[in-house]
Amino acid sequence: MMWKSRLALFLSVMGPGIVTAFADNDAGGIATYAAAGAKYGYALIFTMIVSTVFLAIAQEISARTGAATGRGLADLIREQYGVRWALFAMAVLMVANLGTTVSEFSGIATAFEIFGVSKYISVPLVAFIIWWLVIKTDYERIEKIFLLLCLTFFSYVISGVMVHPPWKEVMIQSITPNFSGSPDFLLMAIGVIGTTITPWGQFYVQASVVDKGITAKNYRYTRWDVLIGSFFTGFIAFFIIVATAATLYVNHIPIETAKDVAIALKPLAGEYASLLFGFGLLGASVLAAFVLPLSTSYAVCEAFGFEHGISKSSREAPAFFGLYTVIIILGAAFVLWPGLSLYHVMLVTQVINGMLLPPILIFMVLIASKKSIMGEYANTPLFNGVAWLFTAILIGLTVLLLLATLFPGLVSGLFA
Amino acid sequence: MSEVKILGEFYFSQILSKPILDAQGRRVGRVKDMAMRWDSLAPHVTGIKFAKGVLDMIPIEMVSSMNQREIRLSVAFSPDITVQLQDDETFIGKWLLDKQIIDLEGSKLVRVNDLTLSWITRNHKRLMVLVAVDIGVRGLFRRLGIEFLVRRMKNNFLGWQYIKPLESRTSALQITREKEQLRELHPADIADLLETMGYKERTDLIHTLDSQQAIDALAEMELEAQVEVINQLDENTASDLLEEMPPDEAADILGELSVEKSEELLKLMESEGAEDVRELMKYEEDTAGALMTTEYIGFPLYLTAEEAINKLRELAPEAETIYYLFVVDEEETLEGVLSLRELIIAQPSTQLKDLMHKKVVKIHPLESTEKVADIINKYGLLAVPVVDEVQKMLGIITVDDVLELLIPERGKSDLDSWLVVRKRETKRGQAE
Repeated sequence: MMWKSRLALFLSVMGPGIVTAFADNDAGGIATYAAAGAKYGYALIFTMIVSTVFLAIAQEISARTGAATGRGLADLIREQYGVRWALFAMAVLMVANLGTTVSEFSGIATAFEIFGVSKYISVPLVAFIIWWLVIKTDYERIEKIFLLLCLTFFSYVISGVMVHPPWKEVMIQSITPNFSGSPDFLLMAIGVIGTTITPWGQFYVQASVVDKGITAKNYRYTRWDVLIGSFFTGFIAFFIIVATAATLYVNHIPIETAKDVAIALKPLAGEYASLLFGFGLLGASVLAAFVLPLSTSYAVCEAFGFEHGISKSSREAPAFFGLYTVIIILGAAFVLWPGLSLYHVMLVTQVINGMLLPPILIFMVLIASKKSIMGEYANTPLFNGVAWLFTAILIGLTVLLLLATLFPGLVSGLFA
Repeated sequence: MSEVKILGEFYFSQILSKPILDAQGRRVGRVKDMAMRWDSLAPHVTGIKFAKGVLDMIPIEMVSSMNQREIRLSVAFSPDITVQLQDDETFIGKWLLDKQIIDLEGSKLVRVNDLTLSWITRNHKRLMVLVAVDIGVRGLFRRLGIEFLVRRMKNNFLGWQYIKPLESRTSALQITREKEQLRELHPADIADLLETMGYKERTDLIHTLDSQQAIDALAEMELEAQVEVINQLDENTASDLLEEMPPDEAADILGELSVEKSEELLKLMESEGAEDVRELMKYEEDTAGALMTTEYIGFPLYLTAEEAINKLRELAPEAETIYYLFVVDEEETLEGVLSLRELIIAQPSTQLKDLMHKKVVKIHPLESTEKVADIINKYGLLAVPVVDEVQKMLGIITVDDVLELLIPERGKSDLDSWLVVRKRETKRGQAE
């Protein structure tokens, strides 16, 4: 094939991986990476890089499963493991996604507070607009606008270069595993992993591969899409950590609210830093706030056999639209709780995501290794090995975190 | 006539993983699945799989009693009593439970939550038969062990006669029956089904349909979905479908594919059909040429009305429209036109050249689609002929083609979703 037509084919199937990657650096993502940089300097870069590598592997597995089977993950879990396991997986997904939706609305609230609008006005309004747009219009076209807004996060890349970080130290830290048994550090590490690789991201990438009609035959182009997307997730995360470490960590400025994260953009934008940050945060949060309730409802209805799809009417698919509406209302309502630290909501939800990820990963890998489902596209033993290892590490970290929280002396003693 | 007596109905989920005890009260295993044969009248159970990873089964005849707690055998268990799964049998749980199937009654995809089975006696022989699949919420709750929460809810059963599993594993007899039932579905419903399926199931279903039905269903889809389906099918099936589609639609689809793919498919198509399509693909989008179809009814000048009617009987089933009959010479130059009404009321021996209107409204293939719509609207036509500079007839554009252009079908972005619902209701109405 000529390179030109190859390119055309790539462009026609690209999208799922890249959209997922950008929605991945959502409100929770920015908050977590920034907190990691501000609190621990460059120490968590290693964790971030490892999780990005695994993000690429996990996204590749999901996208490949979608292309090889033409079906969503919820669908496959139900068919392969029956109704109880499907219920379990959906419960996990619901909790994780509800949490993440809350964090997206926190991001929206924060962005509007930067612009001087109270959350009691912005959150209900945006929630209603999102709900209305998805039900009444073609949201794919709107998606492009928010993707463009997400590009503002490249300002962290520029900022990260402008602050002249000690590159040698950054590089050394990037390849040095750092570890501490303190609950705070564990929390942060799980948060970083949990915001990079998310349960919803795995469901979503597979669903959009299926939705785009990508088949096993033209899968190899989707692989590139996924790899490029994962690279950008990591690329931006890296510079957020570097930028916050070089500005906040060095000057011992703790992050109290998400607005403090904007300080890391000062070298680039000066007094406009918070505005720039606000736009980026808004774009990413809204993009993800569109995607999350929708993909959750899709997955749940797919697993239980309820009518679903945005082209249906609410009378035809009551469960689908009901669930979608409830998730948006709950997500938005939680943020309106008076006196809530929006920034902590964003952090905590990412930790929950990280803790809930292993069950989803286990289903994913089990399904992707089955020859009866995947045929020649089944996981290779090497792939399986890496995936199991990572899942085990994540479970280990979660257990450690629980232990460290319950018996603080025990775990820090282990690593002292 | 065979005497059928119903002894009792129960759910598959009620006996699944229940212990099996033999005549001496020894535990043999648990109910893992059941093998079913789908031959004569109703699908019936032949054996019980009692352990994981073992292909041997306990024949159903050895079951003496069955209740919510356990299954009892009438004999002492030994490996000698077990049987193997036969070629015409399939494990019902693995095949149906939790799977998506086509509900032929409601013509949509549904998920099987549970199965209803029944003991019956026919000719003094006791049989366990499949009665229905449970596709309702109550079945879902039952599987989860919390049916008591929805005790007031009605069950939603679908008789086994109305199911079409996505994976065909049954006898040829059964597949023939399924095919017949599929034939009853309206193409618009099949199109909806195809659009909600994974691409593998989609391909399977298209292979099950007869080609005319597949084409009709495809014609009901939007261009985007058509392109997706053609892209996913294997080249041979895809080219067969394209070949039998109206050339204008085939050209639209091929125009959206990559150059390599459309070349490949065109090469596989029969030369005559492919040539028509190639001809149409030459025209740019938004021109009359891109809109037209090459399938029209053209009669020679000296044909009599009677001969024309006879000829029309042959051509009518395939033609896009039969209301306008075009009269052409040997060079396919457009000479005139007459309506079906005029043909029918004419004296049988009159030649077409004396019946036809010589002044014909026509359009050049490079004219814009707006112009086409204008002309059709102004003269109140059902179709307009497309001719080149030397009046050679190239094809026709029907009023449907123009309507499709003016009123996009089932648009995603439509704000008036009631319109979509109403349109679908009329479709359903036609099917009845």
